[in-house]
Formats: sequence, structure tokens, C-alpha cells
Amino acid sequence: MNIFEEDLNDTITFWEKIKNIFRGKSLWMLHYCTGCGAVELPPTMTARFDMERLGMGPMATPRQADVLLITGYLSVKTLRRVIYTYEQMMTPKYLVGFGSCTLNGGIYYDSYAVINRLDYYLPVDLYLAGCMPRPEAIMNTFKTLENMITKGEANGWKKYVENYDWYRNNQIRSLGEVYVKDEFHE
Amino acid sequence: MNFTNDTKELISILEKSLDIKDFTTPKKNEISIVVDQNNVPTILTYLKDKGWKQLSMITCVDWIEENKFELVYVLFNWTNGITFLVKTKIERENPEYISIIDIFPGARYYERDIHEFFGVKFEGNSDSEKPLFLELWDDKPPMRKDFDPLEYSKRKFPDRKYDVELSKNVVKEVIKEGGINERT
Amino acid sequence: MSYLIALMIVFIGFLWQVSLDGIQRKVTAKVHRRVGPPWYQTFMDIFKALSKSSITHGFIYDFGVMMALGGTIATFMFLPFGDIVAFNGLDNFFVVVYLLAIGSLGMAMSASGSGNAWAGIGIMRALTQMVAYEVPFMIVVFGMIHVYGTSSLSELAQIQQMNGIFGWHIFTMPLGAIVAFISLLGMLNKVPFDTPIAPAEIASGPMVEYGGKHFGMLMLQHEFATLVEVGLFVNLFLGGGNLIEYLIKYFFVYTLVTVIYAVSARFRIENVVTFFYGVPIVLSLVQAAIVIFTGLGVNV
Repeated sequence: MNIFEEDLNDTITFWEKIKNIFRGKSLWMLHYCTGCGAVELPPTMTARFDMERLGMGPMATPRQADVLLITGYLSVKTLRRVIYTYEQMMTPKYLVGFGSCTLNGGIYYDSYAVINRLDYYLPVDLYLAGCMPRPEAIMNTFKTLENMITKGEANGWKKYVENYDWYRNNQIRSLGEVYVKDEFHE
Repeated sequence: MNFTNDTKELISILEKSLDIKDFTTPKKNEISIVVDQNNVPTILTYLKDKGWKQLSMITCVDWIEENKFELVYVLFNWTNGITFLVKTKIERENPEYISIIDIFPGARYYERDIHEFFGVKFEGNSDSEKPLFLELWDDKPPMRKDFDPLEYSKRKFPDRKYDVELSKNVVKEVIKEGGINERT
Repeated sequence: MSYLIALMIVFIGFLWQVSLDGIQRKVTAKVHRRVGPPWYQTFMDIFKALSKSSITHGFIYDFGVMMALGGTIATFMFLPFGDIVAFNGLDNFFVVVYLLAIGSLGMAMSASGSGNAWAGIGIMRALTQMVAYEVPFMIVVFGMIHVYGTSSLSELAQIQQMNGIFGWHIFTMPLGAIVAFISLLGMLNKVPFDTPIAPAEIASGPMVEYGGKHFGMLMLQHEFATLVEVGLFVNLFLGGGNLIEYLIKYFFVYTLVTVIYAVSARFRIENVVTFFYGVPIVLSLVQAAIVIFTGLGVNV
């Protein structure tokens, strides 16, 4: 993990305030969709709701993205890839959980393949309730996230570094092994 | 029923020459036969010659009270649009069966799938025991009727603890602050 | 003194191009009937990218990014910016074209240093596309240079101003101007010629491994490369002019590019090559033949 030491302090310096203004006004989301919530993103992106007026846009690679959207239920197999992706993103990075599936499992609460709460494995900055949330709710969430970033309150990535052992133990408890090992990656 | 004469003839031939236990037409354009487990490769080869060239799917049903697994081979014919279901039952204890990858090579992945979700081992398929969908699975095959997904989910994936009173207060606060009605 | 002028040009060019880029995003949004981001959005993007952390994949990866940015800024210093020429007598077409290649090569080097397979595919496509668009463009410009006997960009711009507005090469050499405009689309990597960075197919191609500061520097490099490429077109075909005229012409050319970009789809790489080696190369050969053998369209 590549993080500046001074970023981890709780105090917000003058330069950090200026940086936070830029970070809040320009959010690139990773175009990675995990569940049914993905279907609400095209209307949010296109002419009707126009995500770009908030300075947001889709990005194709995790290296360039700032915000990772978990759009819906997250199976164990996907969680491995999501952890992989989240750790590839450059700090500061933000994570938004969509829908009730990321909150408490939703209708998949008793599934053998779907996790029940996302913040047990990765630090979530903001949850968005609903099954599925309407594009208005999504726009509201993005606006809230931008305000949080500008005030310096979206600190999930700092929490992930500080409590890395706790998150890693939880991941290992549910997944067995975190890294992707299947016949296509050998 | 709009089966052509060819199909009727075919069914009568099948009934005469092979030991078919049951014959039904569950839907229009769909024929279902139940056969003995030793006859499946013969019947599949015969049907493939007759035009059922596509193996759409192999699936498995767990009859836990009979203590049997039922394998269903779904074949499709592109010339007359008739689906053929070939069903057979095998033992549930130490389930083992013969692979049909010599007849339909595409069956390789379906057999891996069934091995993973039901634990049926297919002889002759070298990939049969490789994991396909479930990564690092450490319990009994999850599609068996005696597998309890809720218990597994509770053991593996911790749930969120709710404080009902607190959540009511939070909702009140959000409404008071106008958080829900805030315009973007 | 000339160094001070060059630094000033770089600063003004940065402010102009980055705000113009934001305005173009607004134009694209209007074509799509959206609201679009505010005009300063590109500033926000660049400064945000520079404020993030980034990781390195080795010395070549870091060095290539700096080589791309430095090479492109150096190219821009040699280009006449309106009537301001930083290094007198060095504003040569060949200098610009050769220095511009340093930027592309630096980026190719750095991206292959990252070791990502998408980056490899992206570079291969970028270099293939370069081979495609440069040939017709060079044929047109070489015909021009052959007739005038000079390759100085400011002289070529001044020659066009002698006969007023109808002395511009866009009116006297319309075929050549069309070819050069199509090549400009290819140079800018905009749709329909954004094959090298196709985000939906190859995950933004050469840029796939860049994040944070590296990506911010590459965004800057892209802005300066745009300044050079559009500037070349304005100087060669629209007659340059003083600073204000130059910027107005620049604005119209870039907006035309954006309007085309907003409504078109992407070519496949082999279609790009066959497209450029088809009609544009024939048009450019016809234009060069007209200019060299008949002398039509030349302001002498």
C-alpha cells in the first residue's frame, strides 16, 4: 500500500483542505458492477440524470478510479475480486454500498454463496438503502459523498490501513484464502 | 400434439428396442423418457444420429426420500424443434456414473458442475473433480437437500446486529434534518 | 529572454487549453442534451490526479512519463503561438514533428514498462494508427514545403496572410485541408479514431496502469499534445495571425473536432489503417500534384 504518512493523521492541514476540494469535485468511479444495481447506473450516467455534472465519470481501470461502487449482492467469488480491486486503487479511495444486499444480505440472507454485510470485509464510506435505489437516490448519495469528502469525513481508506489485521482476519474467516486462484489465473 | 410421423415412428422404435420405463409429453414439443441407467449412452447415441445434435444441459435432481439422484439430459433438435429429456436414476450413496463426453464433448463442463453441486462422480471425465464455480469449498455439496444454507451462512458470514429503538431514532433524525428531501 | 517567453507561452497555453477542454465537455454535453460539468472541471481532474498517491513499476515507467511530458512541452515551445515565436528561426516543421515523436515514444516506453498486456495492445494500436495518419498529412505538407522552399511555420503562416482571408490554405488548397483535418482527428485520438485508448475494449490501452500522479502528468501531456497538433493545423491552413486571431481560429477548429467526436462511433484498428490509406492518401497525392505541377493554390 502506498500512502503518505501525513495523510494518516487525524488533523486536517491547510493543504489537505485544498486537496479535499479537488477530490470532492472530481470523482471517477470504477465501472465494475457486481449485482442488479448495475441497471440503475446507465440512467444515472446518461442524459436524464447526467452524472457528469457532479464531475463524475466511469473509468475502465482501478488505478485511475476514486470510488468503487458495490452495486448489489456480493457473492464470495466476487468478493475476492473486489478486495483485489480495492487494494489496487490509489489512495484516497472511497467505497459505496448499494442496496440492502450489502447492508444485511437482503433476499440472499440465507444463501451459501452471498455475504451478509460488506463493512465486515472492506471499509464502507456510505450505504445506500433500497432494493434497488432509484437514480434520484443514487444522485443524492453521490452529492452526500462529495460533501463528506470536502469536509474530510470520508476516511474509509485510512480505517482500512489502521485496522488492516481485523479486516484481513474477517476476510480469511469467510473466504478461506483471499487471492484469486482458479484455472484461468494459473 | 403436432409431432410429425417421423417422431412417432422414432418413439415406437425406442419403445420396442429399448427398455423405456416411462414416456410422457410434459409440454408441447417436449418428450420425456425415463430409462435404466445402463441404457443412457445407447439412447443418446441413437438420438444424436436421429438429429438431436445439441446437448442443451445436464442437470440433477435430489430425491432424498427415495435416496436417489435423478440425472436429466436435455437434447434439442434444430430441424423440428423438439426437446428430448432423457432421465435416469442413480444411487444417492457414493454416487457414480459414466461420462458421456465421448458422445457430446460439451458435457465436460456440465459434469464438473454436477460433481461440484451434487457430488456425483463421472467416470471417464478427467476434469470431473476439478472445482468450477465454488472456490475453496469446504462443506458438503450445496445443492443436496440435506445441506442447510442458512446454517452455513450464519457460520461463515456474520450478520449485522440491529438495535431497533436506535434505528427508529435515526430515521426520525434524518427526517428532521431534511436529509431525505435534500435536493441534489 | 527567449526562455522567459517560452515559459510564458507554456503557462498561457496550459490555462487556455485546459479551460477550453472543460468548455468542450460542455459542448459535448449540449450535443447529448445534458447539463454537463462546469468549465473548470478539467482543472479539478488534473489537480485531483496530482494530489493522489501513485505506485511505480520500475525506472522505465517513471522515466517514460517524464520524457513524454517534457518532450511534449518542449515541442510546444518551438511552435509559433500566434505571432509569438520563442526561439526565432527554430520554429521549423521538422523540429516540431521530430520532437512530437519523443512524447509518443516516451509514453510507449513507459507503458510497456508497466508490463500490462492491455498496455501492450494499446501501444501497438497507437503506433499503427500513427503510421496510418502521418502518411497523407506528410504528403500534403511536403508538397507545400517543396513549392515555398521553406519549412518555417511562422513564414508559412505569414505567406497566407498576404492575400487576405482567401489566401488561407484552407481556401486555396481545400483537398489538402480536408486531408489534414481528418489526420488531425487521428492525431488527437478522438472518436472515431480513439482506437488506441478504447476504454470498453482494452481498458484505456496504454493508460491502464497509470494512477494518481503519473496519470495527472499524462493528462497534462495530452493537453500539450493537443495544443501542438491543433496549433499545427491553424498555422499551416488557417494562416496563424496575432495571438487573439490565433486563439479564435484554434477555438473553432477544436470545437469542430468536438462536435464530430460527440456524435460518432469508434473505428476498428484495421479499418483506421485502410481508411487512411484509401481516400485521404489519394486526395493528398492529387493536392500535392496540383500544387507542384500547376502552381494553383500557391500564394507567390
